[in-house]
Amino acid sequence: MVKARINGITVKVPEGTTILDAAHKVQIKIPTLCKHPDLRATGACGVCIVKIKGSQKMVRACCTPLEENMEITTHDPEIVAVRRSVIELILSRHPNECLTCGRNQNCELQKLASDFGVRRESFPQYLPDIKPDTSTGTIVLEPRKCISCGRCITVCQEMQNVWALSMLERGIDTRISPAGDISLADSPCVNCGQCSAHCPTGAIFENDETAKVWQALQDENKYCIVEIAPAVRVAIGEAFGLPLGQNCTGKLYTALRRMGFEAVFDTNFGADVTIVEEAHEFVERFVHKKGALPLITSCCPAWVDFMEKFYPDMIEHFSSCKSPHQIVGVLSKTYYARKKRLDPANAYVVSVMPCTAKKYEIKRSGEMFASGHQDIDVSITTRELGRMIKQAGIDFASLPDEESDHILGEYSGAGTIFGVTGGVMEAALRTAYDYITGGKLKNIDFENVRGLAGVKEGAVPVGSHTVKVAVAHGLRNVEAVLSKVRLAKARGEEPPYHFIEVMACPGGCVGGGGQPYGVTDELRVKRGKGLYKDDEAHTMRYSHENPWVKKVYQDFLGEPLGTKAKELLHAAYKARPEYKK
Amino acid sequence: MEKITKDRLDEVLKNPPPENGRYIRVGMSSCGVAAGAAEVFALLRSEVEKRKLAVPVVPCGCSGGCHSEPLVEVCVDGLPSVTYGKVNAEIAMRIIEEHVRDKRLVQDYIVDAPMKRAVAL
Amino acid sequence: MTTTVVLIRDTDSGGADRTRDVHDLFTQKVRDAGLQNEVQVVRAADLGIYNKGMVAKILPQGIVYAGIADADVDDIVTTTLAQKMPVSRLVYCGANEQVRIVMRNCGIVNPECIEDYIARKGYQGIKRALYDLTPEKAIEELKTSGLRGRGGAGYPTWLKWSLARNAFGDRKFVICNGDEGDPGAYMDRSVLEGDPHSVIEGMMIAAYCIGATKGFLYIRAEYPLAIKRVQKALDDAYGTGLLGKDILGTSFCLDLEVRLGAGAFVCGEETALIASVEGKRGTPRPRPPYPSDVGLFGKPTVINNVETFANVSYILLNGAKTFASIGTDKSKGTKVFALTGKIRNSGLVEIPMGTPLRVIIEDIGGGVASGKKILAVQTGGPSGGVIPEQHFDTPVSYEHLLELGSFMGSGGMIVMDEDDCLVDIAKFYLGFCVDESCGKCAPCRIGGFQMLKVLEKITDGKGMPEDLDTLKRIAQAMRKASLCALGQGAPNPIISTMKYFAEEYRQHIVDRKCRAGKCTRLMRFEILDTSCKRCKLCVVNCPVHCIAGDREKGYRIDQEKCIKCGRCFEVCKFEAVARS
Repeated sequence: MVKARINGITVKVPEGTTILDAAHKVQIKIPTLCKHPDLRATGACGVCIVKIKGSQKMVRACCTPLEENMEITTHDPEIVAVRRSVIELILSRHPNECLTCGRNQNCELQKLASDFGVRRESFPQYLPDIKPDTSTGTIVLEPRKCISCGRCITVCQEMQNVWALSMLERGIDTRISPAGDISLADSPCVNCGQCSAHCPTGAIFENDETAKVWQALQDENKYCIVEIAPAVRVAIGEAFGLPLGQNCTGKLYTALRRMGFEAVFDTNFGADVTIVEEAHEFVERFVHKKGALPLITSCCPAWVDFMEKFYPDMIEHFSSCKSPHQIVGVLSKTYYARKKRLDPANAYVVSVMPCTAKKYEIKRSGEMFASGHQDIDVSITTRELGRMIKQAGIDFASLPDEESDHILGEYSGAGTIFGVTGGVMEAALRTAYDYITGGKLKNIDFENVRGLAGVKEGAVPVGSHTVKVAVAHGLRNVEAVLSKVRLAKARGEEPPYHFIEVMACPGGCVGGGGQPYGVTDELRVKRGKGLYKDDEAHTMRYSHENPWVKKVYQDFLGEPLGTKAKELLHAAYKARPEYKK
Repeated sequence: MEKITKDRLDEVLKNPPPENGRYIRVGMSSCGVAAGAAEVFALLRSEVEKRKLAVPVVPCGCSGGCHSEPLVEVCVDGLPSVTYGKVNAEIAMRIIEEHVRDKRLVQDYIVDAPMKRAVAL
Repeated sequence: MTTTVVLIRDTDSGGADRTRDVHDLFTQKVRDAGLQNEVQVVRAADLGIYNKGMVAKILPQGIVYAGIADADVDDIVTTTLAQKMPVSRLVYCGANEQVRIVMRNCGIVNPECIEDYIARKGYQGIKRALYDLTPEKAIEELKTSGLRGRGGAGYPTWLKWSLARNAFGDRKFVICNGDEGDPGAYMDRSVLEGDPHSVIEGMMIAAYCIGATKGFLYIRAEYPLAIKRVQKALDDAYGTGLLGKDILGTSFCLDLEVRLGAGAFVCGEETALIASVEGKRGTPRPRPPYPSDVGLFGKPTVINNVETFANVSYILLNGAKTFASIGTDKSKGTKVFALTGKIRNSGLVEIPMGTPLRVIIEDIGGGVASGKKILAVQTGGPSGGVIPEQHFDTPVSYEHLLELGSFMGSGGMIVMDEDDCLVDIAKFYLGFCVDESCGKCAPCRIGGFQMLKVLEKITDGKGMPEDLDTLKRIAQAMRKASLCALGQGAPNPIISTMKYFAEEYRQHIVDRKCRAGKCTRLMRFEILDTSCKRCKLCVVNCPVHCIAGDREKGYRIDQEKCIKCGRCFEVCKFEAVARS
């Protein structure tokens, strides 16, 4: 432990704690623009400077460890003056477009300028003339608004190991861009959107498609269907000041219905179907030795894209089962439309996702048009939905709870934990255990696949077998798991795992790139807890026991992995180049 | 190449090799080359070879007197070592003919810039 | 029997050059004394002595006589040349001489010949370290020597090594920083080109001391000759078994490799350099952790500058005490400076620490070539400051230069005379930093750019008195909040010129005048009707066709259209174009 004084207050912290974190312990907030709790400090912005007694220099609180007997001053007129100068310098290179910016009232730079009472432009503005990059249709780069804090780059390179984003040029011309100044669509970008979730300003944001949704809702010929992903329900409340991690499923159904959706479904139903298919796939491979092991989950579109670009040798290991939201989409335009006597051409399916990559997934291959139409017409993020609810004048926090629409809105507890890392694995194991042993698990809470450790491993006894599993989240953690698989394959050894779950975003979908801003591990845990509580609150905690899932199979799909199921619920993968030419 | 051993280094320390008393050194660092030292070097070498003069022409680094480059230091029997500055082909020829052959120093080009007054400890 | 040589040179810059007359007189007197077969009298081009009248240097004895009158010639011939006795009244002792440590072999050895280096006691330092000293003892030796890093900041070399030695790491690295980039500084290039083995030996000693087995020489790609010579030196060192495995019969192993820098100035900053060697974008990262703990590929690393390593091999060869006997209390040894600008002898000088600036500039450098008044000297590269003439008696050391608002830096020393505009100079240096800013941290990236815009405003004649406050405000933010020394030091040239040459700024802002005529936008060209001979040469040469008129009325310059290029002023044969 290190003992020191910050603004005269004694503080004791473990060795290696930064001055910034130590100051927080004694209720001192040192402003910063570039430091994010998720990310290594880069020291880029220069706002968090403090004084150490005995030194002429000012040091950065974000990356200077507190040392024994240090005497730190975090706020005095000189420090504040320097900070103000730095903030004003940053503002001189940032457009004054707050009112029309997607980050209005939610921007870290705007907040700092407000806190410091910046009332005039001390330095003339010199703005770069750079066009936004809208090439992906998922996230938009607006380098004009970039303050070069470098968060997105640390996210893309270190947290996600994608290396799509980098800094180009130098000095005043420094800007974010894919290497080689190509478009984001031509880069290795996997659309995970973590860059947008970490950007302090409006320089990277989700491609806003709310207008399309409003237009569809306005269109009398359209029958508007909506589905909400598991992770959305525990995060949307943040946009309305509700407690962190609060499950708002009922309010969401109400709000969506009031916005004008005619059918309000739940992606969790699709999750239950995914599990039925995937668990069958697993049993085929594990018990009947048909197909490669390990089986790797494929419900995360950013992960799918990452695998196709960086691990194409793993294609045979991928579950061919579609992601839950695509399943709800295709069933809406086939099964539901038939039941409702609807022309699927007039059905308009909107999915609300914690995710920017879903915007990409809905058109990623021919299988996403299995209904004969685009199965999901538009996918919006939690952030976009939050804004739409506000635009609709709905007092979300006070809304009563309503139920989802029958039948594609009914879900099991296993379906809801899809939204948190380890959840898919846990749900699949519950069902697979049943399929393999014909019995029921005593304890269905798989604690060792829960939590925020980057890679979680476990061995689960299933009857006479042991199923070796691994769960990775945050794409940088994939390598550790898959290199073991590759090595075993190359040596012709037994695979190190039988079943692997991967989610591109740290924490899984609760930490998705389309979720409300300000994500930290603390918040990821709170959102995750919301989903686990939802699971526990369900009496029905096995996907394959969801009676409505059974009914859809009986009435429409036939057997899991059967012809109809294969046609509608499965997809194929192909190697894609990291860089399009 | 022959290995350099500890014994070899010890020997150098005990019995330092005698300084070669005869040489023509041409400053061949970037500053010298930029001022034309390469041509001067080539000319000196070919003249020495042609005339079978017993004085090696060797390149060396920059001694600091960049303003007077190309610098040519001449040390031949019977004369103290002197350095010529701003040497061109014509002066190089005069160095060969007057200084090396006739043992008469060339007028007007000798520099005794500070680097030559330096104390090497 | 060696012939005695008398070198003659008139060192006074004013008046007629009397070298030839005195030479002839000397020759006559030598002949009269019958010494013509033993003595040669030679006119020298430069004796490295200035403004000391007629000077004679007698070789090989090295006696120097200054202020020689014609009447003294007899005395010199009869006393010194005939009787080998000095003429005491004429002896010139000179100011401080240079001392060669770093450049001890430069200009002497053939840099491409390892044998030359061996003959000059090369690789004795590493031999001594390997056989006679433990790494701790060798570091102790460096501590005694008082050697401080020659890259600029002057961090004690022994301490850096000691930290790296004690840091935990399965591998350790040693890096030589040869990314010399200060405008006008080239001593590292010269050492790499002139004596590469001394640097390699220094790195070997460092590697031995900290326990490194791999090292890199990071040399900028703009130094092709240095790269070639270093590569040759490395090849020879490998070929003779001085690098690789079991060096000099011990278990010490070391591999060295050249890495090219792509010309980014910021890569001279150690953490940016490490990033560059790792193949990443060359930007600095916050310290701590320092490279001695977390360096190249995350391993403990020692980075020293070329000059530092060249000192190390000297210290291990000659002992710490010899080294420490030179220099000042806190700054030991010598420093190499690249003397450039308005100086007679531009070149490299190596002087003991503590030598006054005036000695370097006036005695060694020979003062301003043009004979104009010296205004100032800039040291420390773009992070350094401008030191005015009134402070030229300050001894050169890390501390003293810092006190003057400048900086030792890597050793650039640029002399300015009254033809230089200090505002323009400040703008030049800041422009360099703005170009070279890596763009990572906001204060440097935007602050430097904004300051440059303000300076441009001032030199364009649009400055306002409050601009000086803006400059100070941004300078404070850059100094305090920039991540690395580039941004922290970038305002120094402006702050130091504002301090010492406030009047120049006032003239630019208030009088809209540039004393030196460097800020062209502040100039005004006019045709003096009375002197104009109507030759139209200016009209023909004006690139923007802003001179109009006819033979009757004369010609006028349209001040709105004039771009102040000065072409008319240059071409006029009758001094009919006035510049103000």
